[in-house]
Amino acid sequence: MAKPKKAPVNNTPTTKAPTRQMWRRSIVVLVILIGFCFSAVIGKLSILQIAQADEWRERAVAQQMSDSIISPKRGTIYDTNMTVLAQSATVWTVIMSPKDIKDEDTRVKIADELSAMLEVDRDTLYKKTLKTNSQYEVVKSKIEHPLAETLSTWIQDNDLTGVFRIIEDYKRYYPLNSLASEVLGFTGTDNNGLYGLEAYYEETLAGKPGRIVTAKNGWGDELSAKLKFEKTVDAEDGNSLVLTIDSTVQYYAEKYLEIAVKENGCTNRGACIIMDVNTGAIVAMATKGDFDPNDPMTVTDPDAAAAIALLSGDERSEALIKAREAQWVNKPISDYYEPGSVFKVFTSAMALEEGVVNEETPFYCNGYINVAGERIGCHKRTGHGSENFAQAVSNSCNPAFAEIGQKLGRTLFWKYYQGFGFTERTGIDMLSESRVTSALYHNEEQLDIVQLSVSAFGQTFKVTPIQMITAMAAVANGGKLMQPYVVQQVLDADGNVVENTEPVVKRQVISEETSDRLCKILDVSVNSGSKNAYVAGYRVAGKTGTSDKTDQNLQTGSNDVVASFAGFAPSDNPQYAILVLLDEPQVSVRFGGTISAPVAQKIMAEALPYLGVEPVYTDEEIASMERTTPDVMDKEVSTAQTMLTNSELRYKVVGSGSTVIKQVPGKGETIPKNGIVVLYTEEGELSRTTTVPNFSGMTLAQANVAAANANINIQMSGLGLESGEAKASTQSIAEGTSVPLGTVVEVDFLYQDAIE
Amino acid sequence: MASTKPAALPAASPKPKKRFRLFSVSQGFDMPFLIILMIILVVGLISQFSAGYAYSYYWNDGDSFYFIKRQLVFALIGVVAMLVISTVDYHILHHFAIPLMLVSLALLAVVLFLPSSTGIHRWIRLPGLQFQPSEIAKFALILLFAHLISLNHKKMKTFLGGYLPFMLILGLTCGLVFIEPHLSGTILLLGIGIVMMYVGGTRLAYLLGTLGLGGAAVFYMIFVKGYEQDRISVWLDPMKAYAENPNQAWQTVQSLYAIGSGGVMGQGLGNSRQKHLFLPEPQNDFIFSVICEEMGFVGAVLVIILFALLLWRGITIGMKSPDKFGSMLAVGLTAQIGLQAFMNMAVVTNTIPNTGISLPFFSYGGTSLVMLLAQMGVVLSVSRNASLGREREKRDL
Repeated sequence: MAKPKKAPVNNTPTTKAPTRQMWRRSIVVLVILIGFCFSAVIGKLSILQIAQADEWRERAVAQQMSDSIISPKRGTIYDTNMTVLAQSATVWTVIMSPKDIKDEDTRVKIADELSAMLEVDRDTLYKKTLKTNSQYEVVKSKIEHPLAETLSTWIQDNDLTGVFRIIEDYKRYYPLNSLASEVLGFTGTDNNGLYGLEAYYEETLAGKPGRIVTAKNGWGDELSAKLKFEKTVDAEDGNSLVLTIDSTVQYYAEKYLEIAVKENGCTNRGACIIMDVNTGAIVAMATKGDFDPNDPMTVTDPDAAAAIALLSGDERSEALIKAREAQWVNKPISDYYEPGSVFKVFTSAMALEEGVVNEETPFYCNGYINVAGERIGCHKRTGHGSENFAQAVSNSCNPAFAEIGQKLGRTLFWKYYQGFGFTERTGIDMLSESRVTSALYHNEEQLDIVQLSVSAFGQTFKVTPIQMITAMAAVANGGKLMQPYVVQQVLDADGNVVENTEPVVKRQVISEETSDRLCKILDVSVNSGSKNAYVAGYRVAGKTGTSDKTDQNLQTGSNDVVASFAGFAPSDNPQYAILVLLDEPQVSVRFGGTISAPVAQKIMAEALPYLGVEPVYTDEEIASMERTTPDVMDKEVSTAQTMLTNSELRYKVVGSGSTVIKQVPGKGETIPKNGIVVLYTEEGELSRTTTVPNFSGMTLAQANVAAANANINIQMSGLGLESGEAKASTQSIAEGTSVPLGTVVEVDFLYQDAIE
Repeated sequence: MASTKPAALPAASPKPKKRFRLFSVSQGFDMPFLIILMIILVVGLISQFSAGYAYSYYWNDGDSFYFIKRQLVFALIGVVAMLVISTVDYHILHHFAIPLMLVSLALLAVVLFLPSSTGIHRWIRLPGLQFQPSEIAKFALILLFAHLISLNHKKMKTFLGGYLPFMLILGLTCGLVFIEPHLSGTILLLGIGIVMMYVGGTRLAYLLGTLGLGGAAVFYMIFVKGYEQDRISVWLDPMKAYAENPNQAWQTVQSLYAIGSGGVMGQGLGNSRQKHLFLPEPQNDFIFSVICEEMGFVGAVLVIILFALLLWRGITIGMKSPDKFGSMLAVGLTAQIGLQAFMNMAVVTNTIPNTGISLPFFSYGGTSLVMLLAQMGVVLSVSRNASLGREREKRDL
């Protein structure tokens, strides 16, 4: 070290005062420190705190605040009679604060007991208990009431109230399971609507979530009570929907549609819509196969599910996604199909309205028609011969309609084609109604004479089922094209009506007179192609159709069809329209008349009385009405005989006793007029049985005779009893079965020779 | 040396009686300096209370007052020590200049061999006392340089008398601190040394040459050899670095969040959110961030102005000291405060790359606070002899 000259002497100032240079230099130091260094910091502060303050504050707030959402209660979906279709129920989410667990014993106890109670993995739960810095670990979400109760008791018994919190949440339930699932759609785990009405009316149903904004510290925990900051905004519960759909009618529609889709092996599902023709309100809208909105991810089609189970990896997940999306599509509003002969209804409407034809206008069908050098065949190769217009409708005669189309001309045809709404969306208040693109139809320019002739009987263009039934309703209701809707009312959380849907008439397409005339022509009792839709007591009008899926068949080389029936009832005062559509049935006889009309018949037979449409029976119908068996138990045989005779029932006495000890069928059963009631008078005779004959292929009369011979009763279904042409197809008890005398066997009758 | 003649110590001073009056504008020590210092200390303690409140809560079993209680006790001890030291004639320090430097170097060497869990050897921990030898080194350096410059002033312009010995002492001290490793301490020591040499009269050419060479070496290490790249990348674009590696940029980004969200007027005293475990050590290195968040731009600038006033007054005391020893002591001690305050504020505002350094009179740390106040006592002692508030005397070489 360099030595100074000497050690200081006597602690007195040994050196002189600072020099001028020291003065100057120290001022330089001061200036640099303040003027440069400190100023630089102030400069930087002004950038951070003035110029960029907002952006830094935003970033800071994002990490400082935890924003937890209070779920609002989602609105309920009711059917038209206030039956609950979709409802949110309170469930609970269990939150654990591992930070507040005192010791290892408690951790083990929690892991052991809670994992068993809540059915969660023990090791996963144990690992969560070890996160001792955390105050927020979700143990299980959406547990239901009894379990939450048990858990709450357990928490209190074990003095763990500081460790666990049970937070309220909601879960969506669909109490009627798959009923109307395609209409309702479903919600995701966070309770937002993903499909169907749940998605379309998301804003209405969802309500407004509340928030709890809490300040948190750098570990992500809430600040302690001393430093706490919390702000709560209450949640607003969602509004409820009251649908026009009647769950009972929906149930009938789904029941028979499902049977038909299964029996006919439809590979592209089936659809059914029932509409109030005067308002456009949808009473039922069914699709099969559908899904259970409580568990929408499960693929319900067993074949598809089995095929997916065989796949693995990406292939599997792709197939799964595809199958799920396929089952979620609401077919009645999303799929297109060629209407086929059903469209003749609208060609007829145009022709009647424009006076191109009347009921008596004569046509001649020799099995085909030549149009601009092209031969267009009739489904009846031999031709219908001479027929008037009404008969041509009944015969569903293609050459006659080609001729009508030509008589109308492209301008009028195009005018009404648009008029019936086939070039636009119906505007139904549902998610994913298909767009109607110009590729689906021919416009006025494109309608050359061949296209016009073919279009006149419903081929070479596509419509959606909802367009079809809306147009059919217009034919039925006096010519008004309605805007269909499914939501009748919106209710607020207190049940007050917030919105009520009024029917919307889009336009008058045809006159009331034309509508009336067409209703008569379309009545199935005079319409041979649609006889399978006959419902005793109701004048049903309608038209069947079977159309090749031409474009698809060309691509795949298959030979698939769409078999459909569209109609309405009663024809003299139309109230409800129905459309039944079976897509790609895989049975040999697959005409709309043979497979779709019976579905419509069965649905209407149950739905129309339920809906309060008064039946008006013809004499024939009254004559063949069913009877209810009286109670003749323990009565004198002669008294019983008198009672049965008065009820227009026959009887057969078995044994020689004087009082009736057993009657078959029992009291209150319905059997046809003149059915047999077997009266047993001796214990020893009770075991007498008879063998069920094979009714298949029999006419109604033949079946009655066979039943009488076998001492059993038959109950007919499928169509009315006035016709001699229907043949038995299926029976409820198999041929050869031994049954007690008087047993009722249900037999289904069908027109096997029905056209299209 | 001094111990050989203890009896000679209370010897001839021009106005011994007046010098021992504690509070007197004309005859006692410099009141403006004391007032500025006391304001800084009080503001520092208030800030400490707020900044350490939450941190203390989390780390001391919910006792939010742990830090502030200790800091208050040490502040009190420090103020008493300061006042006592201010009554002592600072010339006595001539005797300690060399021994203290030797002790300091020894401690700097010893600390390197003490066990450390982190691999960083900065602290010497004794029962009831823990301190950083680099803190002692700072005072030792200031004292020794003041000693050498004052006695050796005529040779200050020469290379051998005014440059080389200083650089050797500085190099040795800084080297030992650097390998602790303690980058911010090293830089601070360098800064103090350079300032004292500059004011003491070392040729500007030597200093600029040294700074040029040092700067080139640092430039080479960083931009050619790639040292300290992490620090540099965080400095240049903290949000990008944060996105890439949150841990590395955490301190800087959290500090910027705090400062930026303070805005112009601040969130209000006690309302910092960033002190709740977001800012690392809000009571210590990042206390200025909390001040910025709670008191805003206005409050932060006021704190800077307080430090600027202290600098101005400290250097004024030095320049009005009747002898060069007092001058250099006052300049060195004041420059120490100024440099350290600047470095701390520049680091937390990301004006310069991040390096851990505390804010004098604000940051938590008892030993450090007592030592700082004791050193301010030396400045006050110098001020007693200074011709402040009186007609400036003509001074010559």
